[in-house]
Amino acid sequence: MTLCTLRRSMLFLPASSAAMLSTAFVHRPDSIMFDLEDAVALREKDSARLMMFHALRNPVYRELETVVRINPLATPFGLPDLEAAVRAGADVIRLPKTDTAADLLELEAQVERIEMVCGRPRGSTRLMAAIESASGVVNAVAIAMASPRLMGIALAGFDYVVDMQTERGDGTELFYARCAVLHAARAAKIDAFDVVFGDLDDEAGFIREAELARRLGFNGKSLINPRQIELLHNVYAPTAAEAAHAGKVLAAADAAERDGLGVVSLNGKMIDAPIINRARRVLQLAATSGIRR
Amino acid sequence: MTEPLEFGTVDPGREPLAAAEIRQLLAACELELEAGVQVFLVCRQGGQLVACAGLEGGIVKCVAVAEAHRGGSLSLALMHELGCLALERGHSHLFLYTRPGNAARFQGCGFHPLVEVPGWATLMENTPAGIQGCVRGLRRQRREGGRIGCVVLNANPFTLGHQHLVRSAARACDWLHLFVVGEDASAVPFRDRFSLVRAGVAGIERVTLHPGSRYLISRATFPSYFIKDRCIVETCDTAVDLLLFRQHLAPALGITHRYVGTEPFCRLRWRNCPGWRSAAARSPPPKCAGCRRRATSPGWPPWCRRPPWT
Amino acid sequence: MEIVQAAMAGTLESSDLLVKVSPHDEGRLELVVSSQVMRQFGGQIRRVALETLARLEVEAGLVVIEDKGALDCAIRARIQAAVLRAARCQELDWRVLA
Repeated sequence: MTLCTLRRSMLFLPASSAAMLSTAFVHRPDSIMFDLEDAVALREKDSARLMMFHALRNPVYRELETVVRINPLATPFGLPDLEAAVRAGADVIRLPKTDTAADLLELEAQVERIEMVCGRPRGSTRLMAAIESASGVVNAVAIAMASPRLMGIALAGFDYVVDMQTERGDGTELFYARCAVLHAARAAKIDAFDVVFGDLDDEAGFIREAELARRLGFNGKSLINPRQIELLHNVYAPTAAEAAHAGKVLAAADAAERDGLGVVSLNGKMIDAPIINRARRVLQLAATSGIRR
Repeated sequence: MTEPLEFGTVDPGREPLAAAEIRQLLAACELELEAGVQVFLVCRQGGQLVACAGLEGGIVKCVAVAEAHRGGSLSLALMHELGCLALERGHSHLFLYTRPGNAARFQGCGFHPLVEVPGWATLMENTPAGIQGCVRGLRRQRREGGRIGCVVLNANPFTLGHQHLVRSAARACDWLHLFVVGEDASAVPFRDRFSLVRAGVAGIERVTLHPGSRYLISRATFPSYFIKDRCIVETCDTAVDLLLFRQHLAPALGITHRYVGTEPFCRLRWRNCPGWRSAAARSPPPKCAGCRRRATSPGWPPWCRRPPWT
Repeated sequence: MEIVQAAMAGTLESSDLLVKVSPHDEGRLELVVSSQVMRQFGGQIRRVALETLARLEVEAGLVVIEDKGALDCAIRARIQAAVLRAARCQELDWRVLA
């Protein structure tokens, strides 16, 4: 069974920064998101797009999952961004401000067209929807089911709370949105990503929020600074007890297979496939980032 | 959480409150708000002014960064934004005057030193290829000879006095290079001044007429805001002009003699240049020669002034 | 591509480069490179730059590069951005930019 793609940490990089694009891969996040949207000034959109295009073609970025956040297709920048990103070989296109399934289908149609024109294998460009408004939240299920190319949905906290006429605080303001996005993702069997934590000086606050996201079931979180990567990976790392238990589950599953038994049991309890898969994920995490410190 | 830095522009003539804030920041850096500045780039953090840089055409003036922000990346960001602002306003080639001690700081922000008047001022430009390009162009116009002359004219407008100067100088040399100073700070636009000069020297042999270059400084462009002593300012701008000429332009053309329309006391002034004579040129310095003026010709070049100590 | 106005792209931050493009008064192509690592990488920067300019069919212009240790991908990106701005070109031909 293939290991699932780890997407715990998605590091945001402004595509206008040559320094960041030249060094970010060193920090080894699970994925890197080249931002052409909010992090890039209007005057620099053209230059940032080219920077992203050429950086993606650099071999170092072939080894990481690469995401490109394009500008909305309704802006003059959106389509040129998309052309550049698909042609450069980005793994995933992140669509900001996804409010409806139609938004996603419009993106999908353009991606299909560009893949065909430039000769990229059809379906190789995946999509990610970013929910940034109340409409997006209430349409989350429809969005999540809209396209087979969709690999995940992300909740974007800043614009969402503005739309909700409130502010970022202790997380109460995101309560419903987090749950809605998560359930939509799980129902569609895709990944879910939690919001950016903006206060780089508040390490304890970041860890608290990351733990909440993990407990809720988010696959990962968007990050804006490499310092947050290790903290986040540690939050997702299994405890020694969890790793030990996972080891026992897999041992039981292997034993059952060896003995030709149809049912796997551990300590007198039946263990079915989802539990075994979870155990594999736990051990994969332990192998990647060690045991929780 | 630290507030983000925000850049904006201020028109000092139309925004007195913002101009007052700028004046305060400049004063804290021992600078004055220079009158000619057309636009300021300002940087604010949480509404507070933390840095500013002014532009007068293609000249950068009044650059100040609040003490708390010095040594970080703000200077670089400030000068970059200034470059973008200047480009939007049609100026891609920028000059900057600063105290010699500050030159290194600007070098880190993309400015390259041209000349230094020791202890007073350093002139810089925002490209590594500026003066070199100019010098290469001039070298191609070198003429051979033992006595190669040069005259720099503002010619506002070109007069019989100027014509006499050019004729006398050409007669005395194997070849004469004539420069017309370029800025439109004078009453008559450059294009017209240049045409008048070209017509006026048409009959004179062994003369190359060069259009003005940004590297020939005029009083109008030299800022005085960082030198409190007005007397020093007057000698300083000529010092910069002479140094540029002596270190870069003269060697390129092989100039041995520079002619100025002058009376004897001005000749004394050129010979007695304080301070900058120690800024050695690699080639022998051109001799400065005076041409006795004809009694009837009006219109002296503006750079010939009675020196402050007479 | 024809250079019709002065333009620039990039910054002087570490790992970046500042590219300034302007029309050449003698109608030829002139490339000036200045770098902190001129001795080790000056040649490579020139090579990548000339290659990028050739693919864009830039035959005349003054291109000044101030390098602060940029990777080849950044050199290509910044030169292309500066040239497109200097040529006032909106349409991107990705085959030429690749």
